[in-house]
Amino acid sequence: MPDSPQAAGVIHDLGYRGYDGPRLARSQIVRALTWHSFRSAFGIGRGAKAKIIPVLAFIAICLPAVINAFAVARGDSRLYSYDVYAVTLRVVVVTLFIAAQAPELVSRDLRSRVLPLYFCRPLRPGDYPLAKYLALTAALLLLLEVPLLILYAGTIASAHGGAAVWAQTRALIPGLGVGLMWAVLMAAIGLVLACRSGRRAYATGIVAISCFLTWSLSLLLLGAEGGMNATSTGARLAGLFSPFTILDGTRMWLGGTSPGEVADPGHFGPLYGALAVVLLAASLGGLAARYRKVSQA
Amino acid sequence: MPPNPPPAVIETRALTKVYPGHVTALDGLTVSVAPGVTGLVGANGAGKSTLIKILLGLLPPTKGQAKVLGHDCETGADTIRTLLGYMPEHDCLPPDVTATEFVTHLGRMSGLPPTVAKERAAESLRHVGLHEERYRQIGTYSTGMKQRVKLAQALVGDPALLLLDEPTNGLDPAGRTAMLELIARIGAEFGISIVVASHLLGEIERICDQLVAIDAGRLLRADTISSFTQTSQLLAVEVTEGLAQLQAELAVRGLAATVHAKTLLVPLGGDGTYDVVRDCVADLDLPLCRLEQRRQQVEELFRDEQDDQDEQERVPHA
Repeated sequence: MPDSPQAAGVIHDLGYRGYDGPRLARSQIVRALTWHSFRSAFGIGRGAKAKIIPVLAFIAICLPAVINAFAVARGDSRLYSYDVYAVTLRVVVVTLFIAAQAPELVSRDLRSRVLPLYFCRPLRPGDYPLAKYLALTAALLLLLEVPLLILYAGTIASAHGGAAVWAQTRALIPGLGVGLMWAVLMAAIGLVLACRSGRRAYATGIVAISCFLTWSLSLLLLGAEGGMNATSTGARLAGLFSPFTILDGTRMWLGGTSPGEVADPGHFGPLYGALAVVLLAASLGGLAARYRKVSQA
Repeated sequence: MPPNPPPAVIETRALTKVYPGHVTALDGLTVSVAPGVTGLVGANGAGKSTLIKILLGLLPPTKGQAKVLGHDCETGADTIRTLLGYMPEHDCLPPDVTATEFVTHLGRMSGLPPTVAKERAAESLRHVGLHEERYRQIGTYSTGMKQRVKLAQALVGDPALLLLDEPTNGLDPAGRTAMLELIARIGAEFGISIVVASHLLGEIERICDQLVAIDAGRLLRADTISSFTQTSQLLAVEVTEGLAQLQAELAVRGLAATVHAKTLLVPLGGDGTYDVVRDCVADLDLPLCRLEQRRQQVEELFRDEQDDQDEQERVPHA
């Protein structure tokens, strides 16, 4: 077959060449799709416009940690706790991020009907949502944990002695755990809501409205029941109506003491934990079911 | 049939698919497809797309069995999908990426390592005739170019078998011809077996080695193109008036002519047939305006067969 460089200059048709080399296993293809989706969650590999929201979200959520670094250097103590780091800002930023980027990951493919091209390849119908879920979880993890690491770095930069650093480290670890919890649950919820619609604007609307409305509902109920420090049953249960407050209730049940978004759930703690698990399972189940249906359509 | 037919690329046995709500898409389809370019023809709703989805392992059959390249579609679906390239009927391209990026990504999804995916994406796009355009966003492409991208993504994983669903959809006549030539070339020069599903028989019969016709989920006929055309030497006779008279006269003289769109088709037995037709026309004093030998279009053969079948079905009820 004339495929030497000289021939290429003259003969434009090099003829068809097959491929007998190694092929990736299914798990490696899933990894490739996850990496591709993770990049597009931050608008990498896409136009400049796609990068605006991820970058703004990232700057916004890192800002408190940066401010903390200056404050600590001036001699103040740490401004934010690790486990409820700027929690209201975090709710807003996470909602905006998943409302914008979950549709980027799933609605585009639905809209352009590209999914049959995935499902006719070695991927199985469950692999596609799995890759998207892992990608969005990883993206959220980055968004949630990097500010904590900045907060940590800024604080220990001015800390004196090993004991102080160790104390910061011990406080950081549960904070990272909370971030992981948020990423795991919110990625699932974001995707299962976004994959309802191929229209990106709708998908964004569905995610944003569900997150904000439920969150406002829980805060309103909590306010009506006497606020954060109330110990009535109503106040303890008020957080069960939105994913963010469920996450915060679960945090307190697991031993978190910093005041967050909800009243101390007390003996209702396990209910928050159970609801978080149920919500996660339902979201992932819904996601898998959605793509099983799409693959057969 | 040759004494040792090559192993079939597709084999189905009593394949049945009933969708919920008792919609039967495939009804005991048994067919064997040899390597080469095969036309899968049938009207819209005949079961072509259902068959393709079963072959891709995306839909489980209700009953029966299907094999692709020797692998069972239910148990070996993963293996089959590494060997297949599929071009869907509908639009399936994102508008906001370049063809190169898109085909490279799908090459990765076919299991190609990163550099190989890039190389093969460039080659596939070149094979389908997209050169500098491949760096442009797909949204700016014409329909013809989009169809080519769809074909390129099917080709990128170096498949052993291509399933093309209505590849000429939405193309103008020149685009259709170009697409058909491209498919014929892939079949002949690239050594890839191809199944082309289409509802336009007249179009794909030009490039196919064999034809499989299905109707209402059942096999109408499957055979090589040459066996379709072997027995189909016809004489087309056109007269400006007196078509029925001529048909009757020919019948009297032992020629069973059929009418197709104002043309009388007479089975061509030999030179004698010409003489009989000439005498008939002369005796009836009809204005003859055309007398030509014609290869019967496969479409007509199918039509005849379907008519026969319909008749057979009607008889018991009558």
